[in-house]
Amino acid sequence: MTFIRALTGACAAALASLGALVAPAEAQTYPTRSITMIVPFAAGGPTDVVARIVTSHMAQTLGQSIIIENVVGAGGTTATTRAARAANDGYTLITGHMGTHAASVPLYPKLAYHPEKDFEPIALLAGTPILILARKDFPPKDLNEFVTYVKANAEKVNAAHAGVGSVSHVSCELLHSILDIKPVGVPFNGTGPAMNALVAGQVDYMCDQIVNAVPQINAGTIKAYAIATPERNPSLPNVPTTAEAGLPKFQAQAWNAIFAPKGTSPAIVASLNAAAVKALDDETVRKRLLELGSVIPRPAERTSESLATLVKGEIAKWTPVLKPAT
Amino acid sequence: MADTMGHSATATRNTKVALGFCLLAIAPQIFELIWSIGTIFGWGTGRGPAAVVTGHATALLAGAPSAIFGSFGGGTKKMSSEVLLALIYSYPLFAVAILTLFMTIRSAQDYVGGVVLMAVALFALWASSDLQGMRGFSFGAGTAPRMFGGLLVALSAGIALTGLLTNGPAMAHYSWRGPLFVVAAILFFALSIRSLGLVVTAFSSFMIAATGSHETRWLEAVIVGACLTVGCAILFPYVLGLPMPMYPRFLNQ
Amino acid sequence: MDIFANLAHGFAVAFSPINLLMCLIGALVGTLVGVLPGIGTIATVAMLLPITFGLPPVGALIMLAGIYYGAQYGGSTTSILVNIPGEATSVVTAIDGHQMAKQGRAGPALAIAAIGSFFAGCVATVLIAILGAPLTKLALAFGPAEYFSLMVLGLIFAVVLAKGSVLKAIAMIVFGLLLSMVGSDIETGASRMAFNIPELADGLGFATVAMGVFGFAEIIRNLDHGAEMNRDLVQQKITGLMPTRKDLADSTPPILRGTVLGSILGILPGGGAVIASFAAYTLEKKLAKNPSRFGRGAIEGVAGPESANNAAAQTSFIPLLTLGIPPNAVMALMVGAMTIHGIVPGPQVMQKQPDLVWGMIASMWIGNLMLIIINLPLVGIWVRLLRVPYRLMFPSIVIFCAIGIYSVNNAPVDVILAGVFGLVGYWLIKHDFEPAPLLLGMVLGPLMEENLRRALLISRGDWSVFLTRPLSAVLLAVAAGLLVLTVLPTLRAKRDEVFTESEN
Repeated sequence: MTFIRALTGACAAALASLGALVAPAEAQTYPTRSITMIVPFAAGGPTDVVARIVTSHMAQTLGQSIIIENVVGAGGTTATTRAARAANDGYTLITGHMGTHAASVPLYPKLAYHPEKDFEPIALLAGTPILILARKDFPPKDLNEFVTYVKANAEKVNAAHAGVGSVSHVSCELLHSILDIKPVGVPFNGTGPAMNALVAGQVDYMCDQIVNAVPQINAGTIKAYAIATPERNPSLPNVPTTAEAGLPKFQAQAWNAIFAPKGTSPAIVASLNAAAVKALDDETVRKRLLELGSVIPRPAERTSESLATLVKGEIAKWTPVLKPAT
Repeated sequence: MADTMGHSATATRNTKVALGFCLLAIAPQIFELIWSIGTIFGWGTGRGPAAVVTGHATALLAGAPSAIFGSFGGGTKKMSSEVLLALIYSYPLFAVAILTLFMTIRSAQDYVGGVVLMAVALFALWASSDLQGMRGFSFGAGTAPRMFGGLLVALSAGIALTGLLTNGPAMAHYSWRGPLFVVAAILFFALSIRSLGLVVTAFSSFMIAATGSHETRWLEAVIVGACLTVGCAILFPYVLGLPMPMYPRFLNQ
Repeated sequence: MDIFANLAHGFAVAFSPINLLMCLIGALVGTLVGVLPGIGTIATVAMLLPITFGLPPVGALIMLAGIYYGAQYGGSTTSILVNIPGEATSVVTAIDGHQMAKQGRAGPALAIAAIGSFFAGCVATVLIAILGAPLTKLALAFGPAEYFSLMVLGLIFAVVLAKGSVLKAIAMIVFGLLLSMVGSDIETGASRMAFNIPELADGLGFATVAMGVFGFAEIIRNLDHGAEMNRDLVQQKITGLMPTRKDLADSTPPILRGTVLGSILGILPGGGAVIASFAAYTLEKKLAKNPSRFGRGAIEGVAGPESANNAAAQTSFIPLLTLGIPPNAVMALMVGAMTIHGIVPGPQVMQKQPDLVWGMIASMWIGNLMLIIINLPLVGIWVRLLRVPYRLMFPSIVIFCAIGIYSVNNAPVDVILAGVFGLVGYWLIKHDFEPAPLLLGMVLGPLMEENLRRALLISRGDWSVFLTRPLSAVLLAVAAGLLVLTVLPTLRAKRDEVFTESEN
């Protein structure tokens, strides 16, 4: 048992000394103690991984450790509610995503917070592209055929998703609203079981984040029709974008961004934003994010103002899509 | 027949059991009333006690009966949750309570057990009554809870019936000291772990729980309690790295 | 692929000092986590995950895997000693294991649990190495319809494991099913029976209910007047620590059967591993010459399920290692650990990461060896714990349980709920209802409902899928047969059963 303790101790000490070495000698007052970063999903999930990669670098810049606290439940809204009610002193932050800070508004009518009114946007961290995936023996060969086929067989096809409010659920709802169809959505408990069903051919197609899909696509156990981003992704160079494949309206990314409770002082917001931007410029951080298939925001997209615009736009985008669904 | 003494004894016991069921029939309403007292002091949100009493009283005495007769007249207006509670939960239990007066209970253990389980099932039926049912071939949110609620009503009726038809054990003896202090210790732990921290909470809960047994020797309990507290304080936050406060919050500031 | 070359490579990886150390740490933490009531594997792995980011990926995964199967060894300890199952898989162990402890035979029960787990773990590890890839097909053959039928079968197992009235056992299962429905609906996201309590939004936790109806209820019951004498008797009765030759002879066939059952069921992602221990118990009870011994301290009732749950814990790695798809929450966390290191597991993980896969398989064998070496000497210590006077023991258990439940979600409401379920459990004992079927109903309920709904969605409401799909039809037929076999004799023998019950 002492091993664990020693190990944690060693890690913490290493981190602290690292932080002390790298920390700039600026007489900045703000982070005088460690910062808590709430991650509204389980450790090891896509949001958690992005948060850990970026915050570990931010901690060096800020000269204080950032402790990740995973709070799970109710599609991330439990954690987001807690973050909204936390003290706005800059010591409690949250790594929100498309679901918690946009899609939740139409999905949960009794939501205890509002992404715009209860949070100060800090910085966009990464976008995770969404793919249209299908079982390997699904008849359509490309996206155009897929659209025709699904429209013609809307009564017969089954779309899988990882649970109400999940990225795979809301993005497929967007696809369906663009195609103006209402196929049967088969709910699973998380991405793993949904992917299992797709590999086994029990369901026909699903929309999901790139992370877990790449190895399956490369192994040929499932196929991908298109990626819903403006550009092709380096980890899947052969998969066309939705614009190239003929469905330019379908654009969706599961983005992750840092938020602070409303009323956090502009100076703190600025220093956190600067730390996040610096992390996104770091070679190792970039490399690890790209390995995950993430899209790193361009410099113009990294300001807190642009994040505010993004949140506003995303709420407007998802509300008409998800409102009638619930 | 021959032994009238025994018969009258059963009769008085039956009245007690029936009264108990009546109390059970309005238990949720009483619980909400107790809960609502908190709103006077500004704890929690919800209706005040007066609103709760009038709401449930009208539902029990007027709303539900009229709803029953209204349904004969073809009225399909939406009923409030209080009226539904009275209809789905309280009335069937009142009916059971009245029936109990005329029954010979052969196994109180089974009969009472069955009826209380039935109350749980009826309560679940009420709690899931606002959920959506079947939509075409697809299950709604409320389908499965209602299905299993109904099944449990039937099964518990079966158990109660066994208690009437076959001989079996009578009600077991309940003691109050153990449950009271153990639950008090648990409650104290839950309410104070956040504010008082692990050290104070663990030791106090230990002592409260120890009060639950008449065998407890105080000096010994204090020593063991202190050692256990130290052990927990090392084991949980340090060895396992569980995030929990160690000392009372006011000491940290 | 040359298995032996791969295994040799795996052992070379696993025998490196750092990996051996990681394996040992995993085994130790796993045992500790299993023993402490309430603290589950998912919570522990989630807490330790950040530490692994600083470690090499192979070592990190070896440690996490060690925690996972180490907890299976530790979990049986509290089940046997104090009747508190920490994991769904050790509920069954509590039934006969705790009875054995009451008869002064805690030592043999604990030892057999460890030996059975060790044997099953070794066999299952070999199975992963040799048959991992072909067995994957089984995992893929199970669709929603098959899972539903498997869950129905699982619920029938729950009826069989009841020792008293069948009617009451079925009622308890349905009660458990109802409890499992609390929380968000999977298809619509609607909140069901949660009364706007945020902590109930994701449903009642298994640990909360299990601690309540088993742990707290048992304590409250033991504080009743007249219970002291029984307890003192237990303390005087403690006999040998190790199983006798007869115990070993009685346990060998159940261990073998449990290993086979557990290995097969463990492969199924989503619920297979949970059913394994129940299936093994049912099998032993049905095969026994005198089934009435079960529930009263039959060593077969410990040996079979314990072997099955450890075998299942090992083979549940198969979908992860061959498909790259995590079959349960703990494995999903392990995938997270790999992702952090830039390894996203997929169908080609065996070819692309031979170090990782074969190193992990080899480490499982080493880990099981370490676990039995750790656990057999511990038996003596655990049994000595039973000699601690109950007046000091019970407040300690209350504190440990309360901390354990609190730590799952850092939610005080969970602790209060466990207290409420303690009273419910006390009431259940007083009315002669058994808590084990209730817990099984609670664990299997969501799996059954979700798969039923999925199956009906895919078939567009056609109920015949459960009979037209061969695997599903076979499972349902077995379930129906088992139900008939269980109900018929109990209907006839009800009176005799009641008679023996009142004797205890």
